[in-house]
Amino acid sequence: MQLGKPTRTTLALIAWLALLGTACSSKQSKTERPDGQASSEDPLAETSEDEVLLEPYAAPTLETLDAQAEWVDQDVLDSMELLRERQQQEGLPSIAVAKALAMRNTSTESNRDMRLALGRLPENDSQVDYNAALTRHLAVDVKSTNPLMASSAAEFEVNSLTSFGLFGFDWKFRPFASTATVVSWQKSKDGMIDKVVMRDDLVWSDGQPITAHDIVFSFQTIMNPKVPVPAVRQGTDQLRWVEAYDDHTVVFFHREALATNTWNINFPIIPKHIYEKSIADDPTLQNSDYHVQQENHPISGGPYKIVRRERGQTVLLERREDFYLHQGKPVRPKPHFKTIRFRVVTDSNTALLALKKGDLEETQLNAEQWTAQTNDDEFYKRNTKISDTEWVSYHFCWNCKSVFFSDRRVRQAMSHAFDHEELLKKLCYDLYEPCTGTFHRQSWMYPKQNVPQPYHQDLDKAEDLLAQAGWEDSNGDGILDKQVAGRRQDFRFTILCGQTPRSIKICTLLKESLDQIGIICSVKPTEFTVLQQVSRDHKFHATFGGWGTGADPSTSKNIFATGENRNYGQYSNRRVDDLFYQGEREFDRDKRAEIYGQIHNQLWEDQPYTWLFYRNAFYGFNKRLRGYNFSPRGPYSYSPGFDAIWVPAAN
Amino acid sequence: MTTDASSSPDHSPAEPLVSRGFWQETWLRFRRRRLAMSALYFVCFLGLVALFSPCIAGTKPVVCQYKGNLYFPALGYWNRAWENPIFRKDRFRNRYPKNLAAKDPDSWAVWPLVYQDPYRRVRDDEWDGQPGNPTGADGRPNRHNWFGTDQSGVDVFAQMVHGTRIALLVGFVSMGIAAAIGVVVGALAGFLGGWVDVLLSRLIELVMCIPSLVLILSLIAIIEEVTIWHLMAVIGVTSWTGIARLTRAEFLKLKRMEFVTAAQALGASKFRIMFRHILRNALAPILVPITFGIAAAILVESGLSFLGFGAPPPNPSWGTLLNSGRVMIQQTWWLILFPGLAIFLTVLAYNLIGEGLQEATDPRLRKAEK
Repeated sequence: MQLGKPTRTTLALIAWLALLGTACSSKQSKTERPDGQASSEDPLAETSEDEVLLEPYAAPTLETLDAQAEWVDQDVLDSMELLRERQQQEGLPSIAVAKALAMRNTSTESNRDMRLALGRLPENDSQVDYNAALTRHLAVDVKSTNPLMASSAAEFEVNSLTSFGLFGFDWKFRPFASTATVVSWQKSKDGMIDKVVMRDDLVWSDGQPITAHDIVFSFQTIMNPKVPVPAVRQGTDQLRWVEAYDDHTVVFFHREALATNTWNINFPIIPKHIYEKSIADDPTLQNSDYHVQQENHPISGGPYKIVRRERGQTVLLERREDFYLHQGKPVRPKPHFKTIRFRVVTDSNTALLALKKGDLEETQLNAEQWTAQTNDDEFYKRNTKISDTEWVSYHFCWNCKSVFFSDRRVRQAMSHAFDHEELLKKLCYDLYEPCTGTFHRQSWMYPKQNVPQPYHQDLDKAEDLLAQAGWEDSNGDGILDKQVAGRRQDFRFTILCGQTPRSIKICTLLKESLDQIGIICSVKPTEFTVLQQVSRDHKFHATFGGWGTGADPSTSKNIFATGENRNYGQYSNRRVDDLFYQGEREFDRDKRAEIYGQIHNQLWEDQPYTWLFYRNAFYGFNKRLRGYNFSPRGPYSYSPGFDAIWVPAAN
Repeated sequence: MTTDASSSPDHSPAEPLVSRGFWQETWLRFRRRRLAMSALYFVCFLGLVALFSPCIAGTKPVVCQYKGNLYFPALGYWNRAWENPIFRKDRFRNRYPKNLAAKDPDSWAVWPLVYQDPYRRVRDDEWDGQPGNPTGADGRPNRHNWFGTDQSGVDVFAQMVHGTRIALLVGFVSMGIAAAIGVVVGALAGFLGGWVDVLLSRLIELVMCIPSLVLILSLIAIIEEVTIWHLMAVIGVTSWTGIARLTRAEFLKLKRMEFVTAAQALGASKFRIMFRHILRNALAPILVPITFGIAAAILVESGLSFLGFGAPPPNPSWGTLLNSGRVMIQQTWWLILFPGLAIFLTVLAYNLIGEGLQEATDPRLRKAEK
């Protein structure tokens, strides 16, 4: 039943974690967010209305395709079954649920035991309270309920429960088609075509059938330059065409045989019968009265539908009975909750208080909360907390085109100058691991040879590197300087960060570190949307931010390849560009791993970022919840993710 | 013949009775008010704390001899450029105690009363016998951190001592700006009257309509590098309207007085009459809103810092401390109590001084008191 969820997998984006808490993109792509605040990506900002993104294509007949393609069957799986199999292989947890609920999470061992015990799926339906209502936390408001318009973590979170999708990926980022929506998925031997046969028992929440024509319409809408889709075009634009041969057979034609094609066919689906006529009048899909009405009362294709939405406060979802029942008979697993209420609480302290009071039943915890505010009886009375590895990394991004950071030695000096130990041990309470590059050290693409070693503060080395790069205190004023274009340039720069206390503290630590070697760094906390705009325009010296992980390493291309839209620091290295090119065209996983490992090492050598730490997942859950399991993208953004969470029946 | 019993036998002439001037009289009456005087002492105390903050809490020597020369590194807390660059050249890395001894065994130094820094955490190996500052909820008040530490381990006492400078500066500078504008505008409007008065009165009303907080937030968004001076300037240029109106009223009243007519008859210029003759007579009631304004400015700055719109970090302002206490309000009470108390007492002190001034200068209140 992994509809919606991270099923949508286009490769694209990375959401920047800097300021507010947690945001993640839907797809398998990397996610970007400023510490919990919504990110609003706009890769189309530069697309003119006259631009044609999609040339007409004369698709061959299905008979011709079937005769020529040499189809290879792809996985069509039930993610819940996958998880069940994994749990069977793991065996029974070492402690019972009751004990896990009575325990306090004080060590790695207790965390593991509690996670395994409380993450178990129900053995049968009678154990589940299907009338349960759940209250979840949203750190920011949902700006749009249209899956095409989703750009923030909050929007992806809500959309994952209400929208329709064909594909998903598991906790190891293995892609598959979902049994809930797909009968078969085949790929041509040359990798240029994907054919999907959809189930015939799928309906939108208004009763209209979901067909292959909706898929085609959604694709064409995404590729319509007049439609300002914020975050989902990237990846989808790698497709040459999508053709519906009948109501249930849809074929995806690729421009090129790429290893990433599997991800490109996973994009959000909207109902054709709702938008077909209105899109010409209002391509924004948001401004006309009709579209406003659709925004407030959207048609759902997923397991839940939105029944109420109060801006800035709450989004109430209700289970769709017609999702899992067809003509009165169950055809899909029944979603575990009758209603899900998302409550918007922007302040993390308020969210924690609400969790303790029982007004919220899950929330992400920050390091301070995990360490100091969730150890008392008041917290454990109703809740418990669980942690797991999450591939989210934070960094300082240096603008490689700026006068200060164009020289690799200067960037390396920054990494040597920063007090990493103080950051990890004191500011991060020893909860996080040092980050050693763009890929997580547990990921398959992490280099196996020449493994990067974390930086440690070495001010002498930093000063030596700066001197080599020409930065010395020539006039004895205590500030490093250099002759640039015939003028003396003092080493004074501004670092932009989000407005959360943690971002500010980390940048202040950088300022303190650099002050010791005669560099003046000003810290400028900046509102998230401004920060995004400045980043896109490259109008900065340095920024502090973070990235969630993409499901495929190629998602890093738009951060580090020359001229890519998320290459905010304007880093450019021909070798890295070539390796990304090769990586997309290499199908053998081991060889791909080697290629991306080389990219990783080259980036580590060049230090376009000073990588700081991996932030793990820390969550507080109400004690009545079960079934939470984690992936490198946290407990929700994968398959089955949220679908696995349940509440036990009363007895 | 009768003799005056009081007359002195040496027949020295009687002392002529000298009547006290207005300011003397005001001071005398002000001194009689205990609360106002306590408040004044408190503000003077804060002034001393602000002035000598680098000597009270810091990690840089107040004075030291190094390689045969005398230096005053603590001045670096006032202005980075005043800290001699020799210490950067010699790679002191802002760690003076051990580096002084290691790099010049003959060196000596006079240290601040408390070895704590308002901008950074003191580490383990910096000062003999003093452990590194604790972080997070462990930073409760202790022997080395009298008012505890914030989440990053920066000493709260050191921040409060150095924050006093910001609090007083904000108050005095912003109200200095406001007073300068307010007095000039009010004086011109009140003295010149006519179309000047109409024009300036409308200007006053216009500025009164601008919400200073919103203006400050807008300016912060525009200005590339916001400093505390920007905040002071904005608070100043939006807070002068009350002073201007009061000045105008005083000038309207005083310009009809005989001493003004006399000055005019003597041929004094308008400027001289306004600022030499009338202003000194109008100043006492104007001081009252200025005093209250200082309190308000401190509150605005604290509020801005609390909201995260204050001076750029690291900014040891009382409001910033309050803000950091908000994150773990149930655990880190010391981050709320001490800065909250400081803001409360300082604002109260200024208000008491203002009230005392008002009572001391307003004859109607004086009578009521009797």
